[in-house]
Amino acid sequence: MALKALDIYKLLPKKNCKECGDPTCLTFAMKLAGGKADVDLCPYLSEEAKSVLGASTRPPIRLVRVGVGERFFKVGEETVLYRHEKTFYHPPGIVFRVRDTQAAPEIAAVTRRVRDETFTRVGADLRFSGIAIENTSGSAETFAKAVAAVEAEQAHLPPVLIAKDPAALKAGLVHCGSYRPLLHAANKENFREMCALAKQYGCPLVIRAATPEGLVQLVKDCTAEGVQDIMLDPAPETLGAFITRSTQIRQLAITRSVPELGYPVFLDSTLTGQQDAAIVLGIVKYASVIVTDPLTPGPAKAALTLRQNIYTDPQKPIQMNPGLYRVGTPDKDAPVLMTVNFSLTFFTLQGYLESTRIPCFMLIVDTEGMSVLTAVAAGKLNEFLVRDAIKKFGVENEVSHRKLIIPGYASPLSGRIEEATGWKVLVGPRDAAEIGEFLHEEWKK
Amino acid sequence: MSFDLNFGWTSTIGEVMLGATKADGGTRRLSYRIGGGTTLPFLESRADSPSPLIALEICDYLPFWSPIVKNYCGDLVNSVGEWAKAADASYGADLIRLYLTSTRQRNFSDIASIRKTVEDVLSASSLPLVIEGSNEPKIDSEVFQTCGEAAQGERLLLGTAEAGKYRSVAAAALAYNHSIIAQSPIDINLAKQLNILLKEIGVQRDHIVIDPYTGALGYGFEYSYSAMERIRFSALKGDADLAMPMICSAIDSLTIKEVREAEPGLQDELATRWEFYTGIAAAAAGAEIICVRHPGTIPLLRKAFTDMKKPAGPSAVR
Repeated sequence: MALKALDIYKLLPKKNCKECGDPTCLTFAMKLAGGKADVDLCPYLSEEAKSVLGASTRPPIRLVRVGVGERFFKVGEETVLYRHEKTFYHPPGIVFRVRDTQAAPEIAAVTRRVRDETFTRVGADLRFSGIAIENTSGSAETFAKAVAAVEAEQAHLPPVLIAKDPAALKAGLVHCGSYRPLLHAANKENFREMCALAKQYGCPLVIRAATPEGLVQLVKDCTAEGVQDIMLDPAPETLGAFITRSTQIRQLAITRSVPELGYPVFLDSTLTGQQDAAIVLGIVKYASVIVTDPLTPGPAKAALTLRQNIYTDPQKPIQMNPGLYRVGTPDKDAPVLMTVNFSLTFFTLQGYLESTRIPCFMLIVDTEGMSVLTAVAAGKLNEFLVRDAIKKFGVENEVSHRKLIIPGYASPLSGRIEEATGWKVLVGPRDAAEIGEFLHEEWKK
Repeated sequence: MSFDLNFGWTSTIGEVMLGATKADGGTRRLSYRIGGGTTLPFLESRADSPSPLIALEICDYLPFWSPIVKNYCGDLVNSVGEWAKAADASYGADLIRLYLTSTRQRNFSDIASIRKTVEDVLSASSLPLVIEGSNEPKIDSEVFQTCGEAAQGERLLLGTAEAGKYRSVAAAALAYNHSIIAQSPIDINLAKQLNILLKEIGVQRDHIVIDPYTGALGYGFEYSYSAMERIRFSALKGDADLAMPMICSAIDSLTIKEVREAEPGLQDELATRWEFYTGIAAAAAGAEIICVRHPGTIPLLRKAFTDMKKPAGPSAVR
């Protein structure tokens, strides 16, 4: 269980020496309680106090970094089971796997794809996270060549090295050891050699066991060997096994019931035989690194979109900048459609407007990210907001008419908007999907 | 050291029957009992806990339907009976969800055709049926009465009740002993309010399925996902007004830009994956009826649900 600031204070030297950077031991204790300081900053702690504090003040799930440079990613430091309780912070790295039995040009092509492919939606660039190289051949030499083929592309992607044999990993590390690769995986037979490699190269290590008991024992073994940056592979045989074990790990970690499980979860989505479903479940059920074979366009876009959705703060609506947006190249006679700055509303309407092929203006007013329905109910969307937006964004200079189309759900405001703006108001459909029909039938009249 | 997960929940999701066999006074070849959950989805220790049901959505008036479905299914979509038959025999759905889109035409008044459509679908397939009626106050009452009566005894799931319009649906459901879909706009409090309204006019809890409204993946799904999790969580904690099974239908999946504008050769892949990713995530959040429009999504979901139900071996949650 987490300690309160006063409990922590009792364990501190109470010298108020300021060497930790805080003015008093009490303020330092408060920081520790909030997980905002490191116990190691205090030079006078007894070993016993350190071990008590170390376990209860560090984040319940350790933050682990993979890779270096621009594309590095970090995972862990999650605090909740449900995203609505707070949010999920660090989206899982989704890494494409190549096998060392593939020809070098194929391996290079996958590497370039992960390096270059970008899928842009809701104003964000979505990308896959790295390259996993698997030692399928069983030969250390072949493995090293495959790793070299990836590194030859100079893509600087976070690498994941997958091999049962420490000798193969060792050969691969020669080519990418300084790029903080993730090593997979230590088990109870090989953990000493695996830990030696992880320590030598300073890289994170995945441990693999199918039971929580097995994972806990391996965590103890590896931390005793001096490895701190660990991930847990619960080795699921089925999708059900993954849901169960991953939920178990997350829940026991965030409640600090089993501190040894306080590490990010690793999922090889190919092992369940149902890669797509495993990716979905990995994203929603707490995986931090997901290995997959390179995805075709459908699953690729769906996976990136789902990851973006689930790792969006559920309490914060995504907002657009208010303003006048153009669809196509509208002229002075083009329709003007007003709506709110909730980004989903914006992008949905924009999508449908584009497909009508009628150039038009979208007047986006600032409802602080609320949807039309909510904004009308809350009084955020009102005639003055609309009037001021028309002025502020110079709509009167853009079109020669004075007609404004408003969303169907804003119809109660139509009269008041007409009075406040002097514009004629046309009430559009409630559903953006019907905007095409509306424009063709009502606007053209 | 204990690895058991104990969330301390004491309540159960209520059960709802869908469809009625001969023994129950209907003509369906099977019926389903959904609900009954006592913990997070797919963590149930009961071996017989139900798998999510997969519903194929069909309609009686095509202009409001995605051309992707028409291209994939071919001419059979011109006959709602043929379409229903295919949903059952060829596509392998658990349920058929019939949208009476004909009623969405302007000034629609041909109520007699509605009766015929419902009868055609009931005779074309013996699967339990979900019917989505009109969306126009002037005709709602007549449309729902007609559906309810035409399918008397079949234990339909009738949709959709919303806060502003629930009386017509509820009246038809009460008169002919059908269940109803109660939809609220991605908000747990509004979902609860609507269920209370329905209770007040006499709809029993075991006749309600919650539709928290599913935004398509990338278009609101992030909110729907958490709304579902919250509803399930509140129900397990003991809120009886939210303890009903949920239905998920991301009806915009085939019309969003990524799918609509995909290259022709990729359109089916995009459509099925968009529905599949949404359906799996929704099931993990607690939805028990997953609706799709692309028949190609059904076998994908079926295979995944089977594996998601497979117990976890020695370290299973107790």
